[in-house]
Amino acid sequence: MDPWREHHCEEIGRFIFCDNMLAMLDAFDSQDAVDDWIAFLDAVRASSIAFEHAKRPSSKIFGTVFHVLRTGKSLELIMASHKLLVDLEKHFPRVHLSGSDDSQPSSNSPSKLVVAEEAWSPIIFCQDNVTAAGEAGDKECGRPLDPSSFQLLIEELAGILTETQFESSNLKPLQNMLLFQYLVIALEGDFLPRNATMNWNMQRESLLNMLLGSRKTIYKGLVKDCMKVICQLSQFQNELNKYAEFKKSSESQSPKYRQTALFLALPEVVKNTCVSMEKLLVMIMGLDFSKKKADIEGHTIRADGTRTPAMDIILDELAYSEDVVPLFLQIFTEPKWKLEIVVQYLWKYITKPSVRTRKTSGSTYDSTFHGALRCFSNKTGTKGIIKKMGADVVQFLLAHGFQAQLSILAEENRYDNHAGDQEGRANALSDLCQMFISAFDSLRSTNQHMEILPIGKEALFTAATVISMKS
Amino acid sequence: MDMNIDDPLDFEFEDELLKPAPVINNNKRKKLIGLDDLVEDHYREQNKLLEKQTKHTKSKAKKNKRSYDDEDRKEALLTRIVEKCHNQLKAFGEEEEIPTWGVQVFGDKKAFPPLHLPDFGSCNLLQSFLNNKLNSVVGLSAEKGDIFLEGLLINGWLLKLAFLCGHVEEPIAIWAFNTMLYSPKEELQNFSTEFWCVILSSRKEVDQLPVKIDWFPEYTDLRRALDLYGFLFKFSSNVGPINLDSDTEGPPQNIRAWVRFVTACCVIRSKKPIFSTLEAEEVVEIIISLFLDRQFQGLMVLLNDCMQAIINYFTDEEWCLSCEKIAKFIACRVSKDLNCIQAVECLSEADSRFKQLRSSVAYQILLSCFEGVNCGEEILRSLIAVNFKDKSCDFLKMYIYLVLTENWVLSNSLIEDNPVIYEMFSLYLRHCSNLISATDLRSYASKVRHRAAYLVHFSVQK
Repeated sequence: MDPWREHHCEEIGRFIFCDNMLAMLDAFDSQDAVDDWIAFLDAVRASSIAFEHAKRPSSKIFGTVFHVLRTGKSLELIMASHKLLVDLEKHFPRVHLSGSDDSQPSSNSPSKLVVAEEAWSPIIFCQDNVTAAGEAGDKECGRPLDPSSFQLLIEELAGILTETQFESSNLKPLQNMLLFQYLVIALEGDFLPRNATMNWNMQRESLLNMLLGSRKTIYKGLVKDCMKVICQLSQFQNELNKYAEFKKSSESQSPKYRQTALFLALPEVVKNTCVSMEKLLVMIMGLDFSKKKADIEGHTIRADGTRTPAMDIILDELAYSEDVVPLFLQIFTEPKWKLEIVVQYLWKYITKPSVRTRKTSGSTYDSTFHGALRCFSNKTGTKGIIKKMGADVVQFLLAHGFQAQLSILAEENRYDNHAGDQEGRANALSDLCQMFISAFDSLRSTNQHMEILPIGKEALFTAATVISMKS
Repeated sequence: MDMNIDDPLDFEFEDELLKPAPVINNNKRKKLIGLDDLVEDHYREQNKLLEKQTKHTKSKAKKNKRSYDDEDRKEALLTRIVEKCHNQLKAFGEEEEIPTWGVQVFGDKKAFPPLHLPDFGSCNLLQSFLNNKLNSVVGLSAEKGDIFLEGLLINGWLLKLAFLCGHVEEPIAIWAFNTMLYSPKEELQNFSTEFWCVILSSRKEVDQLPVKIDWFPEYTDLRRALDLYGFLFKFSSNVGPINLDSDTEGPPQNIRAWVRFVTACCVIRSKKPIFSTLEAEEVVEIIISLFLDRQFQGLMVLLNDCMQAIINYFTDEEWCLSCEKIAKFIACRVSKDLNCIQAVECLSEADSRFKQLRSSVAYQILLSCFEGVNCGEEILRSLIAVNFKDKSCDFLKMYIYLVLTENWVLSNSLIEDNPVIYEMFSLYLRHCSNLISATDLRSYASKVRHRAAYLVHFSVQK
């Protein structure tokens, strides 16, 4: 037996701290201090993740690593602490379903939710924790974030392009994006198993629900800022080359390799941040859905309060500023919710006297994408929609909706190989394409000079190709 | 959530995200004997001495009222001593210039090939659409083929079509591959990488890709790309000092696509083996050398994933031999400074192959550090024989040996069964932690002592 495996992380912390191996907590600047911190992170990793039977590090260790992520002054440290936190999160989930790791998944016993109550979490709510954490460490930044800090973080991300943020040696935007990515992973690890229980009592206590329901969270602003972040970041990706030139021209004190390192890392981090943001929005919509269901079934209580569904806020935001539509829809790719967004947007503007009944559970009309496409079958109806939404927005919505619907159909195709169904699905695909093409025909018939956007052309090309494939 | 009414409400606590780094704990600082304190003490002593002597001289002068020359001479002497001390202190401070790891593995970029546009005529996907009546709206033509294709790629249609048709034609595959590796546009790079990687990593069948791909790149295509990026295949950190501030531009952004593509290639070995064993070994060596370049600090996760994939690309039989070959290769390339620590530590401890490689690389480097030594026991014997009291003892070297030995012994599951090595290792650690004086101010002395003490604490406790 290797005694190396026996020790606890707590001891590393005590040992290292007492021995002052880490020098001072704020001394990040010198390479020497960076090396010491890296040694610390390695020691935590070695004692917690590298061995099979290792234990979850203590809250103090978690807090310290979190502190490094939030205040580290070198790319190396920020990256290493971020990776460590993410790996720890996967290794020691705070919440999991007991049935999921059993050797026999076929056993029919309902999986139970196992919650490690005492485990450190990067987000906290009740003040009991606050004081406890406050006493434990004198380091503010090692403390978990409270809801208002989370909101502040998103706000900062939303302003990422407006300031001169991407200067050659400014690590702050990168740090914030990585912090955010980590928080989303933590929220997800907590929410997904809880949501899988389909039990509102479990779902209610998810970090996500508590975060959104906190009195400190300005919920609408949060969702709006989330969308803004997506748009800003996708814009950044498109304009990366501009920043490259900026990088070259800027006279910076920091060594060249640091600039290149940052410049190589940024697009990667930006891309992953977009993915995380999409995950967050999908989770929020999933939570809304669960809550609505619990509400209908009578499981909610008054303390659950009411919240505008994120979907409504997103739709308002998209309607409010047309520029957001293409940017947002390009980044947001999760087909199920993307289709939902497109369909609800379209139905908002398709005149139907029964719209008011939508909020009740049984809808009285065909509120699917197909249903929406059908509304473009006559010229007058189409004209009305274009008048309300603008021709460009209609094209964007139809093309993106078509793509999402294609993905969903293709996905079903891939997981189901029954020969009979295969043909039925192929028919469903070509029907969809046919309907899409007619909707565009109708769109063009309203105005001979209507400019078809590139994405519209590409969608038409795809539809035509899928149809020709079948014949 | 149950809450006590008397407790403050949650919004009464402010945790400001942007709060500057907190003031450090004074108790902790007091325990430290910093360089500043030492310097201060030194000055204080000097001043006392000076004052004493001045008083002494002055009183003497008062008594005798004799020779001003004498006083002048003494003053001059004192000034000289003070100056000397001052200079020494200054030099002492400057010595703290800390060595760092870093190897330049990229030289000058070479000219990229012109982006190969698909041969329109042979691309059935585009060609067949020309006669479609919808083309009056779409306006596709042979001249505009490439721009249209870019749109299809960026907006995700190309990937959808690949899955719906279950087929990627050769011109499209080549075009997407070249776009991925050579396009300067971030968007195109991203989406072409995604195009390839999603198709490659889509897992439906065990031994067959869900999409028929008419063209596959070979390793030489990947190697060529790296060469054009300026990668120095013959890099060696032994040659000359590392110029961390050189004017070479660094690798292009496409290197990220390269790494990701290689990662995706590794997971499809059962369906399509792209690398031979030799080539896979070279990929491992390349990734390790990327880890040694400080410009890649921000891409750790990407490199790590790639390393994981390529290490698991080998079959068990291949791995036994390849692991040692790679370790030897790295050992003879990497310089015996902090770079060799980085070469070992960049290998995460995620799984047993990683640990095995980590241990072998550390072992091979150690072997090459000691001349005439050819087994582990001899390495440890030489290490135990080091006299730390010796003025010429190079603690940076000691530190490197310590870290290498630690990785060699502790990452190797076989050594657990070897009590001799284990005992010697423990003895060596105790040497380092006990025989280096806490007041030894030579640089790296304390690091060796601390690290060894830490290891003793955790690995030798029974």
